[in-house]
Amino acid sequence: MKNVIEVKHLSKSYKSHKAVDDLSFEVKEGEILGLLGPNGSGKTTTMNCILALLKYNEGEIKIFGKEMSPSAYDIKSKIGVVFQDVAVFDELTVYGNIDYFCGLYIQDKTVRAEYVEDALKLVGLTENKNQYPKQLSGGLLRRLNIACGIAHKPKLIFLDEPTVAVDPQSRNNILEGIKKLRDGGATIIYTTHYMEEVEILCDRVIILDKGKIIASGTNDELKALAKIEEKVTIEVSELSPSQLSGFESIKNVSEVSYDNGVMKVVFNKGKNNLADMVDYLKDNKIQYSKIFAERPTLNDVFLELTGKELRD
Amino acid sequence: MTVSKAFWKIVLKNISTIIMYTVILVSFGTVSAQSSTTTVEFEAVEPSIVVFNHDGEEGITKNLIEYLDKNAEIKTGFSDDDKLKDALFYEEVVLVVDIPENYSKDYLAGKNPEILTRSSAGYRAELAKVMLRRYLSVAQSYSTLGLDASETTEKINAALESSAKVEVLSKVDSSKYAKASAYFSFANYAILACVITIICLIMSSFNRMEIRKRNLVSSVAISKMNRILLRNSCLYAFGVWLMYMIFGYFMAGGDILFSNYGILFAVNSFIFCIVATTIAYLISQLVQGRNAVNGIMNVVALGSSFLCGSFVPLEFLPESVKFIAHALPSFYYIDSNYKIQALEGFSLDEIAPVLINMGIMLGFAILFVILANIIAKKKQRVA
Repeated sequence: MKNVIEVKHLSKSYKSHKAVDDLSFEVKEGEILGLLGPNGSGKTTTMNCILALLKYNEGEIKIFGKEMSPSAYDIKSKIGVVFQDVAVFDELTVYGNIDYFCGLYIQDKTVRAEYVEDALKLVGLTENKNQYPKQLSGGLLRRLNIACGIAHKPKLIFLDEPTVAVDPQSRNNILEGIKKLRDGGATIIYTTHYMEEVEILCDRVIILDKGKIIASGTNDELKALAKIEEKVTIEVSELSPSQLSGFESIKNVSEVSYDNGVMKVVFNKGKNNLADMVDYLKDNKIQYSKIFAERPTLNDVFLELTGKELRD
Repeated sequence: MTVSKAFWKIVLKNISTIIMYTVILVSFGTVSAQSSTTTVEFEAVEPSIVVFNHDGEEGITKNLIEYLDKNAEIKTGFSDDDKLKDALFYEEVVLVVDIPENYSKDYLAGKNPEILTRSSAGYRAELAKVMLRRYLSVAQSYSTLGLDASETTEKINAALESSAKVEVLSKVDSSKYAKASAYFSFANYAILACVITIICLIMSSFNRMEIRKRNLVSSVAISKMNRILLRNSCLYAFGVWLMYMIFGYFMAGGDILFSNYGILFAVNSFIFCIVATTIAYLISQLVQGRNAVNGIMNVVALGSSFLCGSFVPLEFLPESVKFIAHALPSFYYIDSNYKIQALEGFSLDEIAPVLINMGIMLGFAILFVILANIIAKKKQRVA
């Protein structure tokens, strides 16, 4: 697959603060690339540099094989952007807003009307099309924000934290909509600090911290970077101190905690961890009600790499 | 097309604001039209006076009474002094002339006898006093010539009959144009309010950081978008001007608006609309948001209207206020309206003061555009 975006040695500083530090990556055609990182990690700055909204100090940015610049209107015509802050006109209706932003790209009225209807359907706002933004809930407003950014059916879409402060129903609707866009052939750059969304949506992930790439790859590749293999949770009503200390003797166990009848055991890389755990419970006649194991998350990877939580 | 469509949709969304300021202007125009029905007809006024003659009906006394009777209305029946005081208070009588005993005899003897008077307040009393003084000063000049009574009265009458010939040089009924002047002067407020509010609200919508970013990443060049916005802003201001001209036609009268005076009023207000548009353009670079726009609009529109004589005629404003007003374009617009109203002809010399004011207004417009562009460029650099 060919590269849609190529970023080489991108650096951007605000006075002495380096917001983006020697970033290099590429985005393949048709993939969803997640830019994951805590607030202030440089995700939005990187996106703004790529979109030529910000001047950068060093580096090279190519989109569709051409150098990106503020006057590269042929490139811009193939791009759609959904910014973190809702960018709509309060004086225009839902339909009017989508029609305006779509009209900046599509001149043909008939085609545009079709595209606007498609966008309304995609984000589930058909019934609200005659309402004004102030009449919409926060979630619906976010959906309108997305519709305004993607109505012209762009080949490359930038989504900057589109699900911040939305209700679960709207979030599911938005994520479903993004999947449909990818299925329609669009390449998507998705910035977020919600690891769950990245795990659901993204084909590839770049983890940023302090303006630098600290890891990149597919979900599985990133999780493979974690030292831990799995986290086992067991609901145990009674546990003696000797039984508790006995857990640490199980092979590959790295961490044991017990609180309010819930026991958590973290295993390092190794085989048959869960089976060994069950054997220990049986051998020591420890009664338990529930037991389940979890794979490490991207948050665990981030925690191991940076020593802090993603949402810090 | 898309940008223009959005522009006019936002204008329509704010139509209530336009209607509100137009209603204010039309209401003022109606009130002004009703209160400006002045006339240029003149009528001689005969003040009411009372004469107490203690001298008799002969000689110079007889002649004085005949003169007073000719120029004033002599009332009788005021023997009661209290009744006379009431009549003076209520201005039923404005002057009481008390001719002393032996007045005529003492006059001919060159003794310069004194006539006592009492008067009410007001201009009619002053008029009566002037009339009496005129007789007495003429009579005094003949008192020392040693003439007899008939010769003296003859000479006094001859002198009093000669009067200065007054020629009315101006036949312009300026009150006819006062309505138009008042309407267009008040339009200063309505034009500023309508143009600044709407254009600033639209520009602040388009200049909102989030919208601006979305426009910047689109395939339409931002310079082209700005040109479209500016063109539509000018078109809107032209629409406001045209609407106020149509209302002006009904308020001030079509015969005035289709005269040379009307053309000058129209050109003056059109130039002021251009200035108002540039003020709006400058303000939109400085502030954003409905509340901020309304606040600034009130300061600019109300402030300049008060200072420059839109609500109160310029001649009633203190000199210090007029001095400050010179720094505002509204002053030159309103001053031009007064100057147009008072024009006697339309030669270049006569309309030069109006043209100078228009030039100053256009100078302000250029200054505001330069300032707005400097601010806009500074903002771009910050981004």
